[in-house]
Amino acid sequence: MAAELHLRIVTPDRTVVDRKVAGVSFLGLDGSYGVLPKHAPMLTAIGVTGFAHVTETDGKTSDLFLSDGFAQVQGNVLTLVCEAGEAAAEIDMARVKAAEAKAREKLAGLDKLSQEYTNAEASLRKALARELLSRRTTGSGNLSS
Amino acid sequence: MANLKELRGRIKSVASIAQITRAMEMVASMKLRKVQSKAQGFRPYVEEIRRMIAAVADKVAGEGDVPLFQVRDVATVGYLVIASDRGLCGSYNSNLLFAVKKAADEQIAKGRKVKFWVYGRKAYAWLTRRGFAVERFFVEPALDKADFAAAKVVGQALVEAFTSGAVDEMRIFATRFQSMIKFVPTDAQFLPIRSIGVGDKAAGGAAQASFAADFLLEPDATTIFNRLMPRFLETVVYDAMLQALTSEHASRRMAMKGATDAAVRMNKGLKKVYNRARQENITKELLDIVGGASAVS
Repeated sequence: MAAELHLRIVTPDRTVVDRKVAGVSFLGLDGSYGVLPKHAPMLTAIGVTGFAHVTETDGKTSDLFLSDGFAQVQGNVLTLVCEAGEAAAEIDMARVKAAEAKAREKLAGLDKLSQEYTNAEASLRKALARELLSRRTTGSGNLSS
Repeated sequence: MANLKELRGRIKSVASIAQITRAMEMVASMKLRKVQSKAQGFRPYVEEIRRMIAAVADKVAGEGDVPLFQVRDVATVGYLVIASDRGLCGSYNSNLLFAVKKAADEQIAKGRKVKFWVYGRKAYAWLTRRGFAVERFFVEPALDKADFAAAKVVGQALVEAFTSGAVDEMRIFATRFQSMIKFVPTDAQFLPIRSIGVGDKAAGGAAQASFAADFLLEPDATTIFNRLMPRFLETVVYDAMLQALTSEHASRRMAMKGATDAAVRMNKGLKKVYNRARQENITKELLDIVGGASAVS
C-alpha cells in the first residue's frame, strides 16, 4: 500500500500505539469517524467509551478500547489522546468484571442526580464497553447477552 | 577508657543503622526510577493536550463564557500543597512547608483568607498544628500509588472550589524536580488560568507554528474547548504530583545516602577506639604476667 497514516495513541500512562497504519475508524463524540491517509486536519472529541478499529498496512485489523479523549489529524498523523486506551487483547476480563460489579453496587445506592452517580455510571459503561470489545475479538460468549 | 562491652554494643548498633539506611536508600532509588518512568510515559500526553488547547483557544470567541479564565477580586486564596506521607527525606518537607508558611503569611498580610487542600500527611500535620484551615486532605490513594484518576479527583475538587466561589484564586504549592540534587518548592497559579490565552488574547503565533491554521473542528470549538479544559487542568495537577513525588524520592535517597555514609564513618572511628582499648588491655595483662613471673623467679 502506497499511502500510510501515522497513528499515535497517547494516554497518561504510556504511548499505546505509535506506528504506520493503513486506516483507522473510531467512535467520536458525535458519531463514527473514518480516517485514511491524507485526511484533512481535524480535531474532535471522544466520549466516555470509544472504540478504534485499526487497519494495518498488511490488511490485518485490530480493535482498541478508548475512553475520554480527543482525536486530531495533523499532517497525516492521527493522534488519539485518551485517558484510557488498550488493545482488545490486553483487556483483563477479571478486572473488568470486578469493575462492573463495583460500579453496579455503587449505582444502586446513589442519588441519580449526584456527581457520584454520573461517575459510577461512566465506569460501568467503560467496563461494559471493554467487555463487549474483548468478547468480540476473542469470540468467546454471546454478544447479545 | 570506655569500657569494651559498651563499645561493642555501640559498634553493633551503628552498623545495623547503616544497614537500615542503606536499604532505605536502595528502596528510594528504586521508587525514584519507577516514578521517573511514569513521568516519562506521561509527557507525550501533556504535550498533546497543550498543543490541542493552544490550537483551540484561538477559535474560542471571547472569555465571557469561560469562567475558569475570569480574574476576580481575590478575597480568599486556595492552596494545594503537595508534600510527602513519610519523613526521613531530608529537608524535603520542611523546605516546602516553610515556603508555604511564608506565602500564606504574605497573603494574610494583604487581608486575604487562605484555605488549604493538602496531599501528604506531613503537610497536613504541619498545617493543622499551626492553625491553618485545611479544607480537604487527600488520603486515598496514597501519593505513592497515585495515578491519573487520583489527579482527576484533586483537579475536580479544586475547580469546584473555584467555580463555587469558595476561593477566588487557586494555587499549587509543590516541589519541582530540577535535577537529582535540586528540588525547588514552587508556588504556581492554577486558577484562573493564565498560561493560555483565549479568543482575542490568544498567542496565535505559537499555536499556528505547530498546527495548521485551518482545521476541522467537530462538533465545534467551544464544545471541544470545554472538554479539553478539565483534561488540561488534570494534567497540571498530575504533573505537580509526579514532580513532587520524584523530588521526594530523590531527596530521601540523598538523605539516606548521607546517613549511611555518616554511620559507616562513625563505625570506623568506633572500631579504632575499640581496638586501641582492647590492645591496651592485652598489653596491661601481659605486663602483669611478665611482672608476676619475674617476681617469682
